Amino acid sequence: MTIANAPRAPARLPLPAGLSVAARQLSGVKILIPFVALVAVWWAIHAAGQFPERVLVSPARVWDTLVVLFSHGVLAEYISTSMSMIGIATAISLAIGVPIGFLVGSNRYAARGLEAFLRYLQGVSGIAWLPLVIIWFGFTHTTTLAVVIYTLVVPIIFNTMVGVRAVPEHYTLALRSLGASRMRLITDVYLPGALPSIVVGLRLGMGYGWRALIAAEMLVRQGGLGDLIFGARTSGQIDRIIGGMALIGALYIIVDRLLVQPLENLTIARWGVLRK
Amino acid sequence: MPYTAKTRRLRLLIGPDGRRFVAGLFLLIVILFGQQVYGVATASQRLDPSLRGATGPSNVIVVLDFMPERFHNERVAEYGTFAGRDGALNRLRLRFVSPDKLRALSRVSWISRIEPFK
Amino acid sequence: MSVGTITAMSPTRRALGHLAWRLVPVAPFLIVLLIWIVLWDVFRPSQETLPPVRDVVLAIHELAVSGQLAQNVIASLGRLVLGSLLGIVTGVAAGFVVGLNRNAAEILNPLVVFFNAISGIVWLPLMITWIGIGTALAVFLIWNTVFFIVFQNTVLGVQLVPEVLEQGVRALGANRMETLRSVTLPGALPYILTGIRSGLGFGWRALIAAELVGAASGLGTMIFDAAEYHRSDIIISGCLIIGTIAIIMDRWLLLPIERRTVQRWGLVSDAEAGR
Repeated sequence: MTIANAPRAPARLPLPAGLSVAARQLSGVKILIPFVALVAVWWAIHAAGQFPERVLVSPARVWDTLVVLFSHGVLAEYISTSMSMIGIATAISLAIGVPIGFLVGSNRYAARGLEAFLRYLQGVSGIAWLPLVIIWFGFTHTTTLAVVIYTLVVPIIFNTMVGVRAVPEHYTLALRSLGASRMRLITDVYLPGALPSIVVGLRLGMGYGWRALIAAEMLVRQGGLGDLIFGARTSGQIDRIIGGMALIGALYIIVDRLLVQPLENLTIARWGVLRK
Repeated sequence: MPYTAKTRRLRLLIGPDGRRFVAGLFLLIVILFGQQVYGVATASQRLDPSLRGATGPSNVIVVLDFMPERFHNERVAEYGTFAGRDGALNRLRLRFVSPDKLRALSRVSWISRIEPFK
Repeated sequence: MSVGTITAMSPTRRALGHLAWRLVPVAPFLIVLLIWIVLWDVFRPSQETLPPVRDVVLAIHELAVSGQLAQNVIASLGRLVLGSLLGIVTGVAAGFVVGLNRNAAEILNPLVVFFNAISGIVWLPLMITWIGIGTALAVFLIWNTVFFIVFQNTVLGVQLVPEVLEQGVRALGANRMETLRSVTLPGALPYILTGIRSGLGFGWRALIAAELVGAASGLGTMIFDAAEYHRSDIIISGCLIIGTIAIIMDRWLLLPIERRTVQRWGLVSDAEAGR
């Protein structure tokens, strides 16, 4: 760590005592202020200009459309399609990626060998393979799943490898000298030691995977939010497009900030001793 | 709460990360399943009294309180044999709906009413 | 390093070890190639499901000779360069403005997180409606992707410059501009360069996705056009070329730039750590 990298303490504005207490209580609401401002600017722009309906609609209209679509059952199904796709892809990617990462991570040569290959695969985005996968599996959920799994599995394997290699050798040697079996080593040393890194990889992968999912859904058109916004384009339903985009962002934030990030924090808090 | 090994897990759960996780889980469940729960809860209001307790296939009219899109036509057609409209575009005829399918149909939240079809 | 390898080894053994170490990364590629050849010999799948290796090699050769390859690569790279330049310039500028102003950073952060979540391809339907299909669309999508990455890294870099350095230079009589130029910029540079390198990688991937609605030319267009005619050999060729360009760009262009520029200022970054 050089001088340039040394963290500095954040400056704190001195506030009168009562105000700082109120500010803390409002911090949850504070997050919404920029969004409110954004919607206000949007509303102002729309009200000021004479935009035709197929170019820009008001925020109120987008909200109405979302409410209507939800009450008609359309949104619930499309959201659940997208969410189950990402969920299944995550589960399968973990089931494939973590064991491979463990197997390869423990051997220096294997790790170096696989690393270059994974980097190459990462360079070819899943979407580039989409036409080929469509030829193989048609316009089905299997195709979407294959592409998302491809996108997710690479960061997971990478980070599992890094996590396994970061476990200091004297831990395994110590347990070995006490007579631990291979299985015990994995569950008691490698798994907890690599877990923080694995969860970081999972979080990264889910970010890439969510975007790959939307892109794949746009092409495969078998339901899902990508299908919703891409389909709305042909009928010029800007309200749906904007509403769908807002939903895509909101859902990702809910899953990332409320589910995966706490999980990451918890695993690091519990087993993060081994992180560099 | 004393800080012991035993209370550590509970402490984690009600800590800020644990709360967020539970809140996120709850939010997702509501978004994904809220409508289904609502549909099940209001199922009895949807089904016409004469159709309750049907033992064999029935012919019904599925009434929606909005103009259906292709999405809705496709979903409704999964429950029986689609037999055209009944006057208006939001009244769909379905034939040969088995009792099981009828029960499932009554639980769909965006269907307004299910009437018998003579 | 484990104890076993420090024992005395004959020079030949060590040389062989070195050779093995250098060649190991090639192994998975060879394995995949082998599996591909075996699969094809055993199962004889149809041309469109899995073309034989030979067909793909021929396709690449044909594309190169007919000039199509060069044309598409240049078209795609051109869009990447244009979009990335815009993204880098706007990202660094905005990053400095926001990074230097603590209040702005706090207020804008939720918005940045949100728009980062929908960066790239999610804008496709809206942008097609607003600016139509073509180069403008691809450039916008790349700009969008690169901007957020460079912006966030710049903000981080600017914020992490130790205040004591800036105050020190100020105490010696430097004005705002000079402080920025001599302290903040070099201090934030490792992060900015990491952001640029990262952004270009993502931008390249986003470009291929952007071309899925059919720009006039480009590698993505080549692949998706080939899909219509079920020319799997062209599809696979395209994918291989995309991956190769990504590696070349990252390992042999950007990484050395990052290393050398950061070295000049004696700073430490990911590139130094060999990542």
